[in-house]
Amino acid sequence: MVPSLGNFSLFLSLLFAISQFIVSRKNKNLKFISISVIGLLISSLISFFLLMYSHVVSDFSVLNVFQNSHTTKPLLYKISGVWGNHEGSMLLWILVLTLFNYFIFKLFNKKNSIFILKTLEVQAFITIGFILFTVLTSNPFERMIPAQANGLGFNPILQDPALAIHPPLLYIGYVGLSAAFSLSVATLSLNNSEKIPWYNYMKPFVVAAWTFLTAGIALGSIWAYYELGWGGWWFWDPVENASFMPWLLGTALLHSLIVVEKRKSLQTWVLLLAILAFLLSVVGTFLVRSGILTSVHTFALDPSRGIYILIFTALIGVYSLTLFGSKSKKYFDNNYFTFFSKEGSILVNNILMIVVCATVFLGTIYPLLVEAFTNSKISVGEPYYNSTVIPIMIPAILIMGVGPMLSWGKENKSKVFKEILPNILLTILMTFFIFLIYKSYSVIGFAGIILAFWIIFNNLLMLIKKNRKYSISMIVAHLGVGLLILGITGSSVWQEEKIIKMKIDEKTKIEKYNIVFDKINEIRGPNYVALQGIFFVYDDKKNIVTKLKPENRFYPIENNFTTEASIHTNIFRDLYIVLGEGNSNDGWVVRIYYNPLVIWIWIGALVIFLGGITSININLKKLKILS
Amino acid sequence: MKKQLLIIPFIIFLFILLTFFYLLAIERNPSELPSNLLDKKIPKFETESLLKNERFISAKEFGKEKILVNFFATWCQPCRTEHTYIKRFSKEKGIRIIGINYKDNPKKAVEWLRKLGNPYSDVPVDKNGRIAIDWGVYGIPETFVINSNGIIKYRHIGPVTKKIYKKINLLISDIE
Repeated sequence: MVPSLGNFSLFLSLLFAISQFIVSRKNKNLKFISISVIGLLISSLISFFLLMYSHVVSDFSVLNVFQNSHTTKPLLYKISGVWGNHEGSMLLWILVLTLFNYFIFKLFNKKNSIFILKTLEVQAFITIGFILFTVLTSNPFERMIPAQANGLGFNPILQDPALAIHPPLLYIGYVGLSAAFSLSVATLSLNNSEKIPWYNYMKPFVVAAWTFLTAGIALGSIWAYYELGWGGWWFWDPVENASFMPWLLGTALLHSLIVVEKRKSLQTWVLLLAILAFLLSVVGTFLVRSGILTSVHTFALDPSRGIYILIFTALIGVYSLTLFGSKSKKYFDNNYFTFFSKEGSILVNNILMIVVCATVFLGTIYPLLVEAFTNSKISVGEPYYNSTVIPIMIPAILIMGVGPMLSWGKENKSKVFKEILPNILLTILMTFFIFLIYKSYSVIGFAGIILAFWIIFNNLLMLIKKNRKYSISMIVAHLGVGLLILGITGSSVWQEEKIIKMKIDEKTKIEKYNIVFDKINEIRGPNYVALQGIFFVYDDKKNIVTKLKPENRFYPIENNFTTEASIHTNIFRDLYIVLGEGNSNDGWVVRIYYNPLVIWIWIGALVIFLGGITSININLKKLKILS
Repeated sequence: MKKQLLIIPFIIFLFILLTFFYLLAIERNPSELPSNLLDKKIPKFETESLLKNERFISAKEFGKEKILVNFFATWCQPCRTEHTYIKRFSKEKGIRIIGINYKDNPKKAVEWLRKLGNPYSDVPVDKNGRIAIDWGVYGIPETFVINSNGIIKYRHIGPVTKKIYKKINLLISDIE
C-alpha cells in the first residue's frame, strides 16, 4: 500500500511539473502556477518520505529496500540508505529540485513576473527531465513479488555518518546551480526591458550552491579519510572530479557576480558560467552513473540510464548554448580593466579557475577520448593532476590574498603595499616557525605554507581593522581557504607512511612516536563482528600519548570486510593506524600514517561553510530590499 | 567581440557530447583492461592443491588442452554469483577449469565447493596472493582463457555474467 502511494505520488509530481511548465509559458494566471509549484513540492515530499518509511520499517516487498537494507541495520543507516543507492538518490535529487523551485516561486512579484515565470518554466523542464528519468529507468518503488523475509544489506563501506549527510549537501549544491542555469536562460531569452537585476537573483542561489558543494565535498573527503583506510583524503577519482569541477566553476561564477553587481561588467561571461556550471554537474552525473568510467563509487549500472542522461544533457545543453550564442551579444560590454584593481584580480582568478577546471575535465575524459579515437586504453592519475593543478593554483591563491584589499577601478600601488607589509612580515615569521617544527624542506611545502599564512594573515588583518569596505562573510570564507591550504600542504608534503608486519608485543617507530602492538580483541557490533587491534602510542619521552584501536570488520549479511582506521588527532598531526590481514602466528599487516595538520582541512572547510551561510543570508536580504 | 566567438562553447559541448554517444553506442567494457600477458605464455607456478594430496605444478597441467583459469575466494561475493556460469562452462562445454583459490581459508573453501558444487578439475592454493601478482590480477574474480599451447588468449576482470559467458563460450570454440 505505502509503496504504491509513493509511486502514485511520484507520477503526480510529474504531472505537476508538466503543468508548471505549460502554465508558466502561458504567463499570468498566478493561481495555476502556485498550485503547480506547491503541488510539485508536496507530492515529491510525500514520495520521498514514503520511500524513507519503507526503508525504516524494512518493507522488503520494495525491490529498492530489499537490495539495500536489512532488519539488523542501525536506524541512521536505514534512513541514509534511502539516498545511499542510485534510485533513492534520484528521489532526493527531485525533492531538492522542487524545494529550490519553490524558493524561486517565492521571489515572484508584480515587477519581476515575466522573468520569474520564464525561470520557473526552465526549472520545470529540468524537473520533468529528472522525474522522467527516475520513473523510466530507476523507479525506487519497483516491487518485489513475493516479498522477501530479509534484505541483502547495505554496503558496509557506506555505513558512515559523514556519508549519510554527504549526498544531501552535494545535491543542494548541484540543484542550486540548476537555479543559476534557469535564471541565466531566462535572462538570455527575455529582452529584459524591465531592467531586472538578474544577477541579484542569481547570487543567493550561487552562494548557496557553492557553500553546500564545499561542505558536501569536504564530507566526502572526511568519509574517504576515515572509512577507506588509505591514509589520504583525495584521490582524483572521477566521482570526486565530478563534484570538484562544478565547484571550480561555481567559485568563478560567485566572484564574477560581484563584479557584475558592482560594475555591471562581465555580464556575458557570468551568463555563460552559470550555464556551464550546471551542464558540468549533469555531465558529471552522466560520467558517474552511466558506467562509462570506472571509479571506486559503485552505482548499479544500466546502459539505458547513460543514454537517457546523455539525451537530457544534449537537450538542455544544445538549447542553452545556442541561446547563448545568439542572444548574449547584447550583454557584452567593452569595459577594460586595469590589472591592479579588485575587478582585475577577480578576472585573473576567474581565468585561473577555468583553466584548472578545464585541466581536471581533460584529465577525467582524456582516457575516454583516447579510447574513442585510437581504441587503446590509458589511465590518468594523481601525478597528472598534481603537476598541472598545483602550479595554476599557486598564482590564484597569491592573488586571492591581496585582491579583496584593492579598490574598484584603480588602485594606488604604494598604499596597498603599506597595508600588506605587516602581513608579509607575519607570513615570513610563521613560515619560519612552521619549518622549525617540521624540519622537512621542499619547494611545494614552502609554497603551500607561505600561501596559507599569506591568506590567513591578510584576512585576520582585515577582520581586525573592521573596515566596512570588506564583507565579513568573504573574510571568513577566505580565512577558511587559508586554513584549508595549511592542512592540504601539511598532510600531502609531510605525510609519512609505514607498512609493516607486526606480531603482538612488537613495536615500531614513526616520527617521534613509538607504537606497541598490545593485543587483538574480538568484538561484536550491531551488524558486524570485528577483530580489534590494540596499539599503545608513546612519545619520545616514553609518555603514553594514546591507545589506538583499528578494526577489521566483517559484515556477515553483506559478506563484506571493511577496515576501520583508528586515528588520534591534534592540531599538529594525525596518527592513523589500519589493521590489515594476518594471524597470530605470522603477525598482522599494519599500516601506520603520520599525517601533519589534517585537522585544518576539516576546520578550514567548516569555516568556509560558515562564511558561505552568512553570505546567503546577506544576499537574500539584499534581494528583498531590491524587490 | 566577434559574434562567432560566442558559439565556441556550443561547438566544444557538441564535440564532447558526440564522443560520449559514440562510447555508449560501441561495445565496450570499461573494466576491461588489456593484459600485458595477452598472447604470452602463462606465468609458471607451483603450489599445494586444495583437494588433492599432491603439489600443483603448472608446467605439468598447461599446454595440452584449452583451459579456463578462474581466481576465486569464498569471501568474495561476486565469485558466488558467477559460480553458476563457471559450473556451466564445465558441464556444457566440458572445458577443464582450474580454480585458483586466492587468499582464503582452506576449510571454508572446501566447504564452499561442497555446498555450491565443484566445477574445477584442480584447485591450486594461492595463500598469500603471490600467484595472483604474477598473473597481474588485481581484483577477484578474474577469468583467463588459455589455449592448448599454454598461451593466454583472453582475460576478464570481474564476475562472469550472461553476456561474458556467451563471449567466452564463442572464444573457446574459436581458439586453437
